[in-house]
Amino acid sequence: MAETHSLQDIRQQASVAAKVFIQRDYTNGTMCQFQTKFPSELESRIDKQQFEETLRMLNNLYAEAEKLGGQSYVEGCLACLTAYTIFLCMETHYEKVLKKIAKYIQEQNDKIYAPRGLLLTDPIERGLRVVEITIFEDRSTGSGR
Amino acid sequence: MPNSAGKRFKPTKYIPVSTAATLLVGSTTLFFVFTCPWLTQAISLTVPLYNGVVFLFVLANFSMATFMDPGMYPRANEDEDKDDDFRAPLYKNVEVKGIQVRMKWCATCHFYRPPRCSHCSVCDNCVEDFDHHCPWVNNCIGRRNYRYFFLFLLSLSVHMVGVFSFGLLFVLYHMDRLGALHTTVTLVVMCVAGLFFIPVMGLTGFHMVLVARGRTTNEQVTGKFRGGVNPFTRGCCGNVEYVLCSPLAPRYIVDPSKKALVSIQPPFLRPILSDRHVTVKINDNGIHSSILRSKSKGSLDMLNDKPLETGPPLPPKADKYRELKSHLTSSEDGSLSSKPLHPSTPAMYKYRPSFGTIPKVHYHTGGEKISMQDERGPGSIAEESSRAPDYRSEPNLELPECSNPSLHRSFRSSPLQLDSLSLKQAYQRRDEARLCGLEPEMVASMADAPCRPVFSSNTLSNRNGSLSYDSLLGPGVALSAGECLSRATRSPYLPARAPPPAYSPAAARHSPPPRDPSPVRYDNLSKTIMASIQERKELEEREKLLQPRGRSQTPAGYPVDADARDSPGGRSLPPAGCYHEGLGSRGLTPPAYGSRDSLVGGATAYAGRAAGLRGSVTSLPRAPRTADGSMVLQGQPGEPPYRSPGHQPHRSPAALPRSPPYTRHSPLPIISALERTDSPPLCPREEIHGKMAYGKINGQPKDQSRLGPTAIGQGVPLSPGRHANVKKVSGVGGTTYEISV
Repeated sequence: MAETHSLQDIRQQASVAAKVFIQRDYTNGTMCQFQTKFPSELESRIDKQQFEETLRMLNNLYAEAEKLGGQSYVEGCLACLTAYTIFLCMETHYEKVLKKIAKYIQEQNDKIYAPRGLLLTDPIERGLRVVEITIFEDRSTGSGR
Repeated sequence: MPNSAGKRFKPTKYIPVSTAATLLVGSTTLFFVFTCPWLTQAISLTVPLYNGVVFLFVLANFSMATFMDPGMYPRANEDEDKDDDFRAPLYKNVEVKGIQVRMKWCATCHFYRPPRCSHCSVCDNCVEDFDHHCPWVNNCIGRRNYRYFFLFLLSLSVHMVGVFSFGLLFVLYHMDRLGALHTTVTLVVMCVAGLFFIPVMGLTGFHMVLVARGRTTNEQVTGKFRGGVNPFTRGCCGNVEYVLCSPLAPRYIVDPSKKALVSIQPPFLRPILSDRHVTVKINDNGIHSSILRSKSKGSLDMLNDKPLETGPPLPPKADKYRELKSHLTSSEDGSLSSKPLHPSTPAMYKYRPSFGTIPKVHYHTGGEKISMQDERGPGSIAEESSRAPDYRSEPNLELPECSNPSLHRSFRSSPLQLDSLSLKQAYQRRDEARLCGLEPEMVASMADAPCRPVFSSNTLSNRNGSLSYDSLLGPGVALSAGECLSRATRSPYLPARAPPPAYSPAAARHSPPPRDPSPVRYDNLSKTIMASIQERKELEEREKLLQPRGRSQTPAGYPVDADARDSPGGRSLPPAGCYHEGLGSRGLTPPAYGSRDSLVGGATAYAGRAAGLRGSVTSLPRAPRTADGSMVLQGQPGEPPYRSPGHQPHRSPAALPRSPPYTRHSPLPIISALERTDSPPLCPREEIHGKMAYGKINGQPKDQSRLGPTAIGQGVPLSPGRHANVKKVSGVGGTTYEISV
């Protein structure tokens, strides 16, 4: 069943302390890239290298999704020929990569971010404008974060 | 308007699309019914087939353009803009391929519109790559459906041409029966086609130009790139390819989908401080770098305890660097590592500890430190790097090439110190960019031993600097002579000696800075400090000379080295006597001295930072300068380590004035070198000696250097005499410099 809970609802054990938004990096045009600058709010929560690695991977995946290559040509021609009815049955290249990205983010959340009290939100939910990182309150330490 | 059910049904907005659809479908149907049968039999079956395919294409594209989400952005969450609403500026600039593009705040959607995005008032949404709102399809044309819209226009044009032509053919063949139904209908269809032919063809042509130029209608009509450069263009072919062949972009407004459960439960892991990497980019005054200190200062303690490494320098650990920085920032005293080098800005010399305490600091003033702490100071990075005996850190510092060599040279009071100092100086030099030409060589050579790899990179590598830093911090203050020695030998200093030749040309290029005998103020560090540093050096050298040569013997044997080594910063500008003492007592390895000296010579000139450092630094460029030369003189190995400060003193002032805050420092060495050559040495022999040292180090006339070793000994007697002319200058941090006047 589709769960329509917000991510926060899912996690009852911790409360949200803050959110960090990683903005898009437009230096190379409108292709989807996110800034890899390490936000200071996360300094005490996660390794910089780890974070940058995650973002770099995301950027690579988005670059792969938007790549103008053989697959996109084939898809375009096929779509034309079939009067775009092909979209009813076939998944586009971009959508395939988006699924891959969702899986990657899920995996990162499970393995790396959730144990540190962080949660990455898939940027597609925000219109590919920001990567939202939710910082949860670390109740065990008694401190806010 | 809210996207909820409150939206009202507005029939008027459907009129154009209904009209367009009706006309298109209706006319074509009539064409097929009334005209095509005759065409089929008169010409062939291909006519209706061709027309059928084209019509199908038109319909498909029309449908896609009408019903496809153009790339609408969902409204931003309130969390995202809670900081923006009240204080946010209306526009935010972002650089796209070097061109500033303005992003406007969208009050409806609550975010800054990405480049090329615009808000459609009809659809009440921001649309990605907004082209225009087309009433004929009752939809915005944006990133996702622009291709279909463009193809719709193209195919519609083709279709209209086809219908009109075949209709004309029919009418021409049925001229005698114009009143007949078929003919009349065909005529009507032809009129419709003809009527819309001009606008459709016009629009098609317009969009063909837009596609070729990589612009949107919105950008074209608002004149965004009129006379300017379009940062979004990919070239004509690239633009066409992008429009026609790019993958279909995803929808942003999606239904909430199943979200995987993620369990987030405290306690949470925290990053281990020691594992953190500190990315330090060396920023020189002219260079921007940012140091991310991800780790807390806690790690510094670790560093402090860490003994100096005797082996090849520099653990390439960023955390070391970090720790180093922490040390610096935490203002620990005494130990090398603890030097609080961190003024937040290069200009903030507030951390100018006495030379004795932090050689590095002295030499490079806050600027270097700053980098450590935050992104600001170019210096800080340099500092850090300079700290480490390895010059490895230098490369991190960005300055690497230029300044490092000098830093190292002059600095070598301790492996750690020297490095940092030299680094710092290097940075400063870099800023000046004067020495850059030389420095890289110098630096590279300097870094050769273990540092070499780092140096050669010459780029602000991250955190390689930590390598050297670690070594600096680790041992804390006490660097054993042996360590120093080993370091020295391994240190960049050794190679540094080589570079001097390279350096000197650069030094020569720089004109000696004006001497300023005024009291040293850190903000004016350059001249005064340099002068005092030189003074110090001279003093030290003098003392060194007086002391058994063996101690500082090294080819470089500069007093400065000793200083640098003994007390990380403290040495830099201790009372004149200190220098010498330090040097003597340290018994630093000759090579260490030597390299340092060479550096010092240059360094003092320009960095004015740690005495030792200065000496070495200045020596580098300053072959001619004797003042610094006392320390630096020895550019070459084997030269008498001590140059009497005597003959330095008057160079010192010269050097000092030269060394401005960080940036200025770099020129100092050169200046000192120049000065040396230019001004008659106070102690001719010493001068010569110094020059020699410089010469060797930085390529000064070799003949001078030849005299060096011999002169040194002779220089000693001279130096005491020079003390008489020493003037005490107090600088920031209470450091007192003795400058010979």
